[in-house]
Amino acid sequence: MNLTVAVWATTGAVFSIGLAIVVVRRQLLAMLLGLELMLAAVNVSLVHHAELYRDEQALAVVVLVIAVAAAEAVVGLSLILRLRRAGVAADTAQLRELRG
Amino acid sequence: MIPPEVLLPVRILFGAPVAAILFGFFVMRRVKPEWTHLPILASCAAVTASSMMLAAYVYAGKGFDQPVMHWSVSGDWGVSFGLRIDGPCAAVLAMVAFVGSLIHVYAAGYMKGDPGFSRFFLVFHLFFLAMIGLLTANDYVQMYLFWELVGVASYLLIGFWYHKETARAAALKAFLTNRIGDLGFLLAVLVMISVFKTTRLQLVYFHIAAGRLELVSLIALGLTWAACAKSAQWPLYFWLPDAMEGPTPTSALMHAATMVTAGVFLLVRSWPVIEAVEGLPHLIAWIGALTALGSGVIACAKKDLKRILAYSTVSHLGLMMLALGVGKVGVAVFHLVVHGFFKAALFLCAGNIAHALHQSTANVDEVGGLSRSMPMTHASFLLAACSLAGFYPLGGFFSKDAILDAAWHHGGALSALSLLIAAVSGFYIFRMLFLTFFGARPEQSRDARFHEAEPLLSVPVLCLALGSALVGFAGGPVTRILASGWVMVPPGSPVMPGDINLPHMNMVVALLGTAMACVGAAGAYCATMVFPGWDWRWRGGRVEALIESDFGWKIVVGWFAAAARSSAHVIGVLFDHKLWDGFLESLPRALGTGADAIARAAQGRLNDYLWWMAAGTALLLGRVLR
Repeated sequence: MNLTVAVWATTGAVFSIGLAIVVVRRQLLAMLLGLELMLAAVNVSLVHHAELYRDEQALAVVVLVIAVAAAEAVVGLSLILRLRRAGVAADTAQLRELRG
Repeated sequence: MIPPEVLLPVRILFGAPVAAILFGFFVMRRVKPEWTHLPILASCAAVTASSMMLAAYVYAGKGFDQPVMHWSVSGDWGVSFGLRIDGPCAAVLAMVAFVGSLIHVYAAGYMKGDPGFSRFFLVFHLFFLAMIGLLTANDYVQMYLFWELVGVASYLLIGFWYHKETARAAALKAFLTNRIGDLGFLLAVLVMISVFKTTRLQLVYFHIAAGRLELVSLIALGLTWAACAKSAQWPLYFWLPDAMEGPTPTSALMHAATMVTAGVFLLVRSWPVIEAVEGLPHLIAWIGALTALGSGVIACAKKDLKRILAYSTVSHLGLMMLALGVGKVGVAVFHLVVHGFFKAALFLCAGNIAHALHQSTANVDEVGGLSRSMPMTHASFLLAACSLAGFYPLGGFFSKDAILDAAWHHGGALSALSLLIAAVSGFYIFRMLFLTFFGARPEQSRDARFHEAEPLLSVPVLCLALGSALVGFAGGPVTRILASGWVMVPPGSPVMPGDINLPHMNMVVALLGTAMACVGAAGAYCATMVFPGWDWRWRGGRVEALIESDFGWKIVVGWFAAAARSSAHVIGVLFDHKLWDGFLESLPRALGTGADAIARAAQGRLNDYLWWMAAGTALLLGRVLR
């Protein structure tokens, strides 16, 4: 089996699982994890394609994505923590201020 | 290129009134409103001098027709503003400037102390300016603009005392009636533009002369309709008798110089167009004759002094129309000039009487036997009345005799009608004279309040009365001025107006006319002096009701007005209230319902939004990757 096909299949599956978690799950923590999965899948795909096309800039993007993912995790986790401290469930069923 | 020798008068003709109005409005009205009349009187003097210079220029046999500027040009069409100084223009302009200026002087005395003094003078002068613009126009669109300006100024002046309900109603009546007439003018101008591609008088004459007669009857009928409204002819005369609700100087200016003469002048200007339509001159003659006779009879029965004079104006305009209709353009213009003098004098006399009573108008029930207490006014009235009735050698004799002569030569019923009109006008004016100035009757609640008007009021009136007496001797010069009009029309062309010269005096007609006037005056003497109470005794019956309704025409007009009002009501209820307001009112409700439907889809769940986001991204990716 070709490596590229394997990478596409794996990263596609992981990305889809992440997307599914983000869309379907109601817990914010789980959604954050799903987001991390999506970012990881994109990173793996980027590393492979950087190798494939001999493109160093893609590797720079990978580093950037890792940094952004870390920052996002920090912000997301701290928000969830604050919600918990305020006694609000970190659950999208409860957080419905955008309701029309 | 305006000839250099008349450049200055032409500039003054427009520059002085415009400057006076602007100065009066922006400076005098704020700084010293009771002095607003000073710049305006100065402008009157300058305008009179320059119009006399123009009349002398035309008298010398010259004339010009010159575009001056183009306004709002688009493509090959624009409104061209120009000057046409020729016979009819110069003759009428000289009268309008002279009579109008004297009325301005009178107004300075009459309106003194009125809270709206400066407003009055500004609008009054605007009226004057609009008429000057109308007379000197060389283009139908330009004429139309000034025509409308005359209408607006008359509306403002008739409704000058806007706290009076009747004045407001009269102003509205005058304005709306004139608007109905203006529709004809507008139609004529639009047809002219589409057929001739020009509205310049001279070029229209050339087109007519060249035999381009398609739709010309529509143009001519539209112009005649407009003239009937402005010059108060049947079927649209009824606004004029009500228009005396304004201050008396307004009535004088409107009846003598600026407003009602515009219609006759329009027909004089358009005579080649009118003449090109077979039968239309005849129709105009008949309209004029019947209007003149009918309104003359009505004038015999009216009690309000200004209303008698108003119907008399309608009658005399009818005579001018009669003269026009039988093809005597020059005669019509000559009577226009003479009528301006005596009618202004008569109105201002009525104004003096009303002024002495501290009222806006006077009634024959209130005044009588004024000849001793108001000698100057009496003398002026007597002169002007004799001129109106047409006694030799006063001005009215010459002009009326010319009309009678024209009708005589036309023959048929028109000549008989014109003689009858002469008798009727002798009756109503002498009835008014005897009732107001001679022998107070028990029916007249006269008291000792009357005193002669101050010189500022009585001197202009006397000047006008003297003018009306003497203007007849100007028949020669006026004829010469008129004859040097139409300078731009090729000689011998079919559009040369029928008869610009005044006819020579015909002894038979002159004697007949004078005899009829004497019969009228004698009848008036019988009805007012021999049987002094007769004027009060015959009233109350069916005859008075018939005359009060203007032989029924007021009722017909009432139907039209009611129909217009009810259809306006229906439109208001159906269209405005139900359709448009309903649409506007239901719009917010419909929007709210739609918004609710959309809001139901947005439940505020984060996951839903993420779904939409993912789906949207997928869609975009699908578009990009394909």
